[in-house]
Amino acid sequence: MFTLPILAEQGVNGLVLGSMYALVATGLTLIWGTMKMLNFAHGEFYMLGGFGTYFGLVFLGLPPWLVVPVTVALVFAVALAFEKAIIGPLMGRPGWDISTVVATLGAGIFLQNFAFKFWGGDFLNVPYMFDGILRIGGMAFAWHRIYILALSLTVIITFWQFVKRTRFGMALRATAQDNEAAVLMGIPFRRIYTITFGLSASLAAIAGSALAPIFSVNPWMGMVPLIKALIVVILGGLGSFSGAILGGFILGVCESYSVLFLSSGWKDLISFSLLIIILVIKPSGLFGAKEW
Amino acid sequence: MLELNDLNVFYDDAQVLRDISLQVRPKEICTLVGANGAGKTTLLKAICGLLPVSSGRISLLDQDLLSVAANQRVSMGLSMVPEGRKIFASMTVEENLKIGSYVKRTWHEKDELLERNYELFPRLRERRKQLGGTLSGGERQMLAIARALMSKPDLLFLDEPSLGLSPKFVEHVMDIVQSINQSGVTILLVEQNVNIALSLAHRGYVLESGRVVMQDQAHSLLNNPHVKEAYLGM
Amino acid sequence: MEKTPTALLLKHMRVTNPLPMWAVFGVLALLPLFVRNDYYISIITLCLIYATLASTWNLMAGYAGILSFGHQAFYGLGAYFSALITINLDISPWLALPLGGLFAAFLSLAIGLPCLRLRIAPYIAIATLAFSEIMLVVCKNWVALTRGEMGLSGIPPLTGWQWGDWFAVSFSGGTKLPSFYVMLGIYIVAMLVMYWMMNSKVGLALKSLREDQDAAASLGIDITRYKIIVFLVSSFFAGVTGAFYAHYISILAPESVFGVTEMVEIVAITLVGGIGTFLGPTVGAFTLVVGLELLRGMEDYRFMVYGVMLVVVVLLLPHGLLLGFQQTVARLKAILRTGKAQ
Repeated sequence: MFTLPILAEQGVNGLVLGSMYALVATGLTLIWGTMKMLNFAHGEFYMLGGFGTYFGLVFLGLPPWLVVPVTVALVFAVALAFEKAIIGPLMGRPGWDISTVVATLGAGIFLQNFAFKFWGGDFLNVPYMFDGILRIGGMAFAWHRIYILALSLTVIITFWQFVKRTRFGMALRATAQDNEAAVLMGIPFRRIYTITFGLSASLAAIAGSALAPIFSVNPWMGMVPLIKALIVVILGGLGSFSGAILGGFILGVCESYSVLFLSSGWKDLISFSLLIIILVIKPSGLFGAKEW
Repeated sequence: MLELNDLNVFYDDAQVLRDISLQVRPKEICTLVGANGAGKTTLLKAICGLLPVSSGRISLLDQDLLSVAANQRVSMGLSMVPEGRKIFASMTVEENLKIGSYVKRTWHEKDELLERNYELFPRLRERRKQLGGTLSGGERQMLAIARALMSKPDLLFLDEPSLGLSPKFVEHVMDIVQSINQSGVTILLVEQNVNIALSLAHRGYVLESGRVVMQDQAHSLLNNPHVKEAYLGM
Repeated sequence: MEKTPTALLLKHMRVTNPLPMWAVFGVLALLPLFVRNDYYISIITLCLIYATLASTWNLMAGYAGILSFGHQAFYGLGAYFSALITINLDISPWLALPLGGLFAAFLSLAIGLPCLRLRIAPYIAIATLAFSEIMLVVCKNWVALTRGEMGLSGIPPLTGWQWGDWFAVSFSGGTKLPSFYVMLGIYIVAMLVMYWMMNSKVGLALKSLREDQDAAASLGIDITRYKIIVFLVSSFFAGVTGAFYAHYISILAPESVFGVTEMVEIVAITLVGGIGTFLGPTVGAFTLVVGLELLRGMEDYRFMVYGVMLVVVVLLLPHGLLLGFQQTVARLKAILRTGKAQ
């Protein structure tokens, strides 16, 4: 049972899954770090990424290289509009920490039921974007999964460089660390918030789009990734970018290997137990909750 | 250069500043002194747009500042070294400086400005790759001032720069402020250390309980009996 | 630039005036005189269920500052425990109600104790969420005990009684009225206990705790003890409510009690009604549950409108309905008094 090929395959699967967790978690931690709020509609942006991909590939029959970027761009636009119209105004008022929770909850409910209304509640299949299997030394890896891994690594590295080197990225970090000082530098923090929110949603949408062929799409598909992302964010340390990425991979690999021992119904227990353990031993997470 | 007319600022329901009118003339060092809680920091924050103004006018070079958003005031040539320095602790010294040039007006020049500031503050060049949070108090003050200079300001505010620094360092800071002024930057200095402030400045205002109670040439204020008694402990 | 977090605004849990509370009790108790329709009675019973859940959650989150996202776990634990002991051990449902509450309270320590160390809201939220998700997974997979996703059915209703020939109370009969009064009783007891807590030494300690944990600790207030008390009381009543629900509906499925959707409901109700206020959650419960019912006519668009309504309410009344109402009333009074708008 535990042969090297199987262990390697599960390991790679874990990395693939983990890279997706990393993306979604990075989105969450991005918003938390910059705006100090939790976006409870984050799972729904993931879901929209999945549904957009379904719509483009299945309904419209368009090729993946067109569907994926357009879907992500549309989700970015929707998130931008939502932030500008609703979150932004709420952030400027007292009680923002709670009102944004209600607003994102409401938005999440709306989006879930919007998807339900237009696509129904069944799981809908999305075709694999890359067919075929790569065989190396007795191990088999689906090309689509390799695509996912490559995609997420590309996105993560691009994002990391973007935050570190570009003018916007520096402005983002400054806003996250000290809002007032950032204003004194001339940084338009309201605009930073809006774009950050959009970027966060885009990350979730990329993950949703990539995983759609593997897990199929349905209106409530975003709820579990949200919970997992919350766990990853705590695991890695709230506000820590590297923590979210590392935490995501760790969770993905742990879950993947746990399938070898536990039936799938119990596997979710792994992530939750990991979380409780971390909270008891080192609440600030692997990298310590800090500003980035 | 900078003119305030009948400014009133409230914090929650309490009035912190009453009918403030003052001027800062071009190329001078103007100082605002007063006890803790007199409203000095509130005034600077209000001018920078960090606090709302309930009535009054602020104009910079005859342009109404109140109609300009806080983050756009930097582009008008205004820059502040805030109280407590407020440097970005998780960014390197160099990144702190670069972000000071954020506004479009200065962003493409940031490398030259960086060099210039490293000349002025060699200690910062030594520590350029270090995280802001690892610097000592005095070094942070240097960084905060250098950062504020990175936006090529015409008018520079300094909020309590002497706070938490050793007397020798305070002297060092004041020397730097003077040389900045000599290079053509107008300065508005808010200080609790009245002696130092009035020794350095050309003109001064005394703030008490949110009101301007005195204004004069700095050396006259230094010799003023009320000032001597209340602030200089004589 | 000044962004005030909600914690600093929570001065409104003073509850020194019990009149509004008694008024609410009175109105609810007399409601069946005016509302005869059994369907409406069942809606109001549902409102009371959520009012109790939200009020107990509010005790933890709004009053003691423990932002729990796992409150539905206690609801579910009480429901399943009560159902299982009546089905398997033949215990009377009346006894099972408080037993369900006690079971929930007992298990609440399993998550409450680790949470004592955590101070930042997001950590507590996520830990409690994980706890309730664990309960959900266990409930779904321990099929031998809970029948997993097939759920439990045929849960015995509360046993009625008969006095002579002319007075009979039945919980399995056509009318939902007796059940309504039982739930009303649970709600009233829960509210009274919380009212007593808030106005006692416990309440004062909690209030200072919420405002500044470090200051409270330095005054020698045993934070741990008070947080545990809050956990126990809050989860007890949530458990009793769950137990009632089990015998009221007679069927149980894991998702319907342990699901995150329930948590979202509870949070939305409390926030819309006004977190940190005593009657806010009740107001929120009635508003949202009735509101959702009224939207029934919209069929497919029902929940979409519901979601939009949440956003609209929070934009217009950021502190919740109750405070928004109070503020509006205060402003109207000011206008009437001075004769001009502010």
